Amino acid sequence: MSDAIRHKLTPLEKSERRLGFAMLAPAFLLLAAVVLYPIAELIRNSFHFNHLAQPWMGTPFVGFENYVKALGDDRFHEAVWHTVLYILVTVPGAVVVGLGLALLANKPFAIKWPVRLGLLLPWALPLVFAGLIFRWFFEYNQGVANAILRGLGFEPLNWLTTPSLAFFAICLAIIWKSSSFVALVLLAGLQTIPKSFYEAAEVDGATKWQQFREITLPMLRPAIFVALIFRTITAIQTFDIPYAMTNGGPGNSTETLAMYIHKTTVDFLDLGYGSALAVLMFIVSALITSIYLRHTRRDPGRH
Amino acid sequence: MTIRLTRRMLSLFGLAAGLALAGTALAQAQTTLRIFTGGQQRPDVMRQIVDGYMQRNPGVKVEVEVGGATSEQQQQYLNTVLASKDSALDLILIDVIRPAQWAAAQWAEPLDAYLGAERDAVMARYLPAYRAANIVNGKVIALPYFADAQFLYYRKDLLEKHGVAPPKTWDELKAGAQRILAAENAPNLRGFETAGAPIEGTVCTYLVPMWGAGEDLTKDGKLNLSGDAAKKPFQLWADLKEAKVTPPNLAEIPTDRIRQNLQAGNLIFGMTWGYVWNRAQNDADSTVKDKIGVVPLPGFTADRQSTCIGGWQVAVSAFSKNKAEAAKLARYLSSPEVSKQQAVLASHLPVFAEVYGDADVLKANPWFAQALPVVQAARSRPVTPRYTEVSEIMRTNMNAFLAGTKTADQALADMNTRLGAIFR
Amino acid sequence: MTLLKNRRAMVILAGLIVAANGFFPAVWILFTSFKTEVELMKVPITIIPQAPTIENYIRVFVDQPILRFLFNSVVVATLSTLLCVVCSALAAYALVRLRLPGAGIILSVLLAIAMFPLISMMVPLFQVMRDLGLLNTWWALIFPHAVLSMPVCTLVLISFFQDIPRDLENAAMIDGCTRLGALWHVVIPLTAPGVFTAGILAFVNSWDEFLLALTLSPRVASRTLPVGITLYQGEFSFPWPIISAALIVAIVPICIVIAIFQERVVSGLTSGGMKG
Repeated sequence: MSDAIRHKLTPLEKSERRLGFAMLAPAFLLLAAVVLYPIAELIRNSFHFNHLAQPWMGTPFVGFENYVKALGDDRFHEAVWHTVLYILVTVPGAVVVGLGLALLANKPFAIKWPVRLGLLLPWALPLVFAGLIFRWFFEYNQGVANAILRGLGFEPLNWLTTPSLAFFAICLAIIWKSSSFVALVLLAGLQTIPKSFYEAAEVDGATKWQQFREITLPMLRPAIFVALIFRTITAIQTFDIPYAMTNGGPGNSTETLAMYIHKTTVDFLDLGYGSALAVLMFIVSALITSIYLRHTRRDPGRH
Repeated sequence: MTIRLTRRMLSLFGLAAGLALAGTALAQAQTTLRIFTGGQQRPDVMRQIVDGYMQRNPGVKVEVEVGGATSEQQQQYLNTVLASKDSALDLILIDVIRPAQWAAAQWAEPLDAYLGAERDAVMARYLPAYRAANIVNGKVIALPYFADAQFLYYRKDLLEKHGVAPPKTWDELKAGAQRILAAENAPNLRGFETAGAPIEGTVCTYLVPMWGAGEDLTKDGKLNLSGDAAKKPFQLWADLKEAKVTPPNLAEIPTDRIRQNLQAGNLIFGMTWGYVWNRAQNDADSTVKDKIGVVPLPGFTADRQSTCIGGWQVAVSAFSKNKAEAAKLARYLSSPEVSKQQAVLASHLPVFAEVYGDADVLKANPWFAQALPVVQAARSRPVTPRYTEVSEIMRTNMNAFLAGTKTADQALADMNTRLGAIFR
Repeated sequence: MTLLKNRRAMVILAGLIVAANGFFPAVWILFTSFKTEVELMKVPITIIPQAPTIENYIRVFVDQPILRFLFNSVVVATLSTLLCVVCSALAAYALVRLRLPGAGIILSVLLAIAMFPLISMMVPLFQVMRDLGLLNTWWALIFPHAVLSMPVCTLVLISFFQDIPRDLENAAMIDGCTRLGALWHVVIPLTAPGVFTAGILAFVNSWDEFLLALTLSPRVASRTLPVGITLYQGEFSFPWPIISAALIVAIVPICIVIAIFQERVVSGLTSGGMKG
């Protein structure tokens, strides 16, 4: 294979290569038109002082000052730590729940639409409103969670104003909302596994668990990785649900990195510092993704 | 025959020419102004007002653009538009806490030149707090559109039933609430609520008792958090919580929950803004019609009652292409005539003292008679270009204290360090 | 016999779990949408509305042009999905099959785009759309939404394309198909669940998106549902019953459409693939 690349290219390979770049063109044209300039601006801003509430200070070049400031900013450290916690809980959480939902939804139902709808609903509910609905569920007086506790004879809890409980409630909401995305990707993967594999396994006397371990999981691996990486990227950017449920409270104890960046840029209008934080966040995401890509690089010519 | 024809042709020609002339005249004079308002500032009433303006000024067309409903959503949109120096908006309704920020960012066109010789006379007519809020470093940044302030709402029926007078001090409020709570023994009834969630209103939850103790957040431009007055708010809210007058979930209460609880009959006293009385009185599902009273907020002593100022202002965008016309409209929107119109149609508190006494206004809002002294005594939250940061520090610390995740000392120490970096 | 019965019961149970998980907040919204605000504030809470009212639904249609928002959302989501899936499918196929030098790097660049936090780029993004003259048009959202979903769609499609044996395409090409012809007639039908998943991902991402819609297309004529629904709330007030009614109006039609559409398209494409 690698020898073939070093060979002089045949006319067929040349034309394939030309076709390949032509096929990439639409995607990259779109990216260039929409995000190239914003990303360049973001990086440029991160090396300048740019505080819109203090325009008389101008926008001088400050080198790495914004980045150095981030290193000593306690609130930034806390926000990073909270974000890491959300990732550690909600990514595996969503993948496990999503896998469960996908397996359940892949059963041969007589009527399929209620199941499909059940799978899609959490997702079709705009994020902002999902957060607000869960906030209502965990309210002290009018919330369903405390109604259940009261019904069972327990004291109601201050879900959203106790840091650990608020974290739990937010994780639950995120997992509920994002597991349907995972389930959808995995369900598509399940549907491409040929039935004959299971029939053959059945003939060989394999148990359900063995079939799951030996056929389903390996065949689903690519889909699971897709779900994992995207859940991770979106988890790094966790914003809407904690924003709607606690607005970062009590104090700053549920504030994520994305929320802090949002506050810094949109509320405080400190574009310079906000951009530096955004670039730092990008670097972390990129590191995680590159580890993932290295891990899954496979030989395209298998089968 | 020929004559008639010619005459008809002539008249037709004349008509056509006349139409064409009128058309060009219209086209020349037609200026389109776009005004931005939030969903809560009654855009329907704003439309009625500008319709009247357009009838009187046929050369001007005014479009009302309704943005995100909350102050935060509006700010997200406006920050983007204005940071891009976009000319799409000519006039913008801004919160009373924003003029200093807008002046610093140079987003608002100073209106002094457009007011000309009348400047001082025009500004003198407004309530003093609004005059002060809209003049930043000697420049008129915006003109007041309507006023607002925090009041104490109470259940008239419950207070009368248990022989409690509307409280003038926090101690009276505590005693009254305890008495009613004990006598009623209703599991869902709560004594007192104010905003405690990490939202803008919670800034006032801190400031009102501090003002009540006779101090302000800053003194001569320097942070003033070292004295006893800075601890007063923490002591007050801890005391009311201890006495079980405030509910255990105060830290999750946003502004509107106070109204909802009041309207559902679950609350004796509520500290909140001017929009509540009208809703409690006129909403179809309100259970407390004619049972709600409004008085000034209590103080630590009966003679020192303080409250937070609110309300909305009209600013002319510094990037507008029709600043002169926009300034004219801004002056109209900030006139006594419009103030009265808003009071009658939307129960918006007027920005002119004389409008409070107007018969039509009082007919629509009987409680406005008591509202004037409150609005006159209302105070401004700190005036600084970096107000959003100041607000954020105060509300998150107040919220953390109410939730019990920080002690008063920890919250105060954090406020001191972080606010200290801003008020250097 | 009992085994069969058990199996059927298990299947039904599985369906119930999935449906319950998805439906419970929707059912809660549905009930709330028939309550008055005072009933909502009751403690202990009520689940089923005590005195159902349709007032909230009337307000939904009277207060805001919600059908207009619904239409805008459908147009924006559909067109951005088409754009996204076409671009992603072409790119994914090129990366999987056409032995491009540096395919890994190209993929990384594509993925990196998804990792820049949008919230910190709103100002320059607004400037781009303004300079293109697209503000307050559907296109101001269609292009960014397509970009938003492109990384995930490309990755999903790559993982599906990789599983298609080369021989199938080669056979088609020997029969006189071009590369693109083979992609269209052989690969796409065989990976229909993947293509459709990518499509749904893109569609719902666009359907959900709030921040861009609020900033780039705020005016009524092109305003989408998530932004439109927030307008029922006030500076202070959050009228849950009305917002619940608006959410029901927003969610129900789209879910039914997607659920039905998914069945049709998936079965249609796969059977087409079998024939080919």
